[in-house]
Amino acid sequence: MRVVVRTVSELCITVGALICLFVVYVLFWTGVRADGAMNHQIDVLHDQWSKQTAQPKSTAGSTAASSAAPKSSAPYAQGKPFAIMYIPRLGFTWNKPVLENTAVNTLKKGLGHYANTARLGQVGNFAVAGHRRTYGDPFVDFPKLRPGDAVVLTDGTTWFTYRIDKGPYKTVPTDIEVIDPVPRKSGYTRPGRYLTLTTCDPEWGHSHRLIVWAHLDSTQPVDEGKPAALRR
Amino acid sequence: MYGWIWRHLPGNAWIKALLSLALVLIVVYVLFQYVFPWAEPLLPFNDVTVDNQ
Repeated sequence: MRVVVRTVSELCITVGALICLFVVYVLFWTGVRADGAMNHQIDVLHDQWSKQTAQPKSTAGSTAASSAAPKSSAPYAQGKPFAIMYIPRLGFTWNKPVLENTAVNTLKKGLGHYANTARLGQVGNFAVAGHRRTYGDPFVDFPKLRPGDAVVLTDGTTWFTYRIDKGPYKTVPTDIEVIDPVPRKSGYTRPGRYLTLTTCDPEWGHSHRLIVWAHLDSTQPVDEGKPAALRR
Repeated sequence: MYGWIWRHLPGNAWIKALLSLALVLIVVYVLFQYVFPWAEPLLPFNDVTVDNQ
């Protein structure tokens, strides 16, 4: 009898300790790992870009969104970073790498670009997903985004400044049309250069998604320095 | 369970304590490195897309 009681209580303590450890892992350790992974991805990008700038570039800088010269470069490599996103509203130092595709393992290392949506700065909808909680909490302050906020991205050669038009808009996980080239609920009526951000809602749940939509406001070559939205 | 482990560790109380600490660390390492990364995607925090890939 005593052995049974002792074994059961030891089991309870073990399970309790396991749960506590798991909570520590989810709340704390995934963040530590993700911050390291994201910084590594950004370093990889800066390395790539510094090598690229060694080669001569012939693209003339254009400042108007409508005349942004679309370069037909290679498709983004799956699971690899290709851009860095800055959102001043989420913090002046907030910057995250954007990786191709939205697989679970990709989203552990940064934001994920929906593979079947438009390329950065192109006509269509450049859609990006990110964690609200865990793995560095990139989009924890997502509900603070407001129309007019800047979402700035760079691919190493050009700064793309998007302005948020609508959101945060709450929808259900099956609402695929929010990342359509012209999302119906966004209020856009004509094809254009749009950006969609998605994350989960509620913070720790998965019953809904939060969406914001933005349009490409301006572009400028990186040689001309940071865009106005990123200057203090 | 823990009593059984304690009785089967060699040496005096100090060595036993050190060995148990090492065992605990190994268990935590295995959990953080292999078990939790496997279990975490089963929780809903990963669902941030609208098309489930």
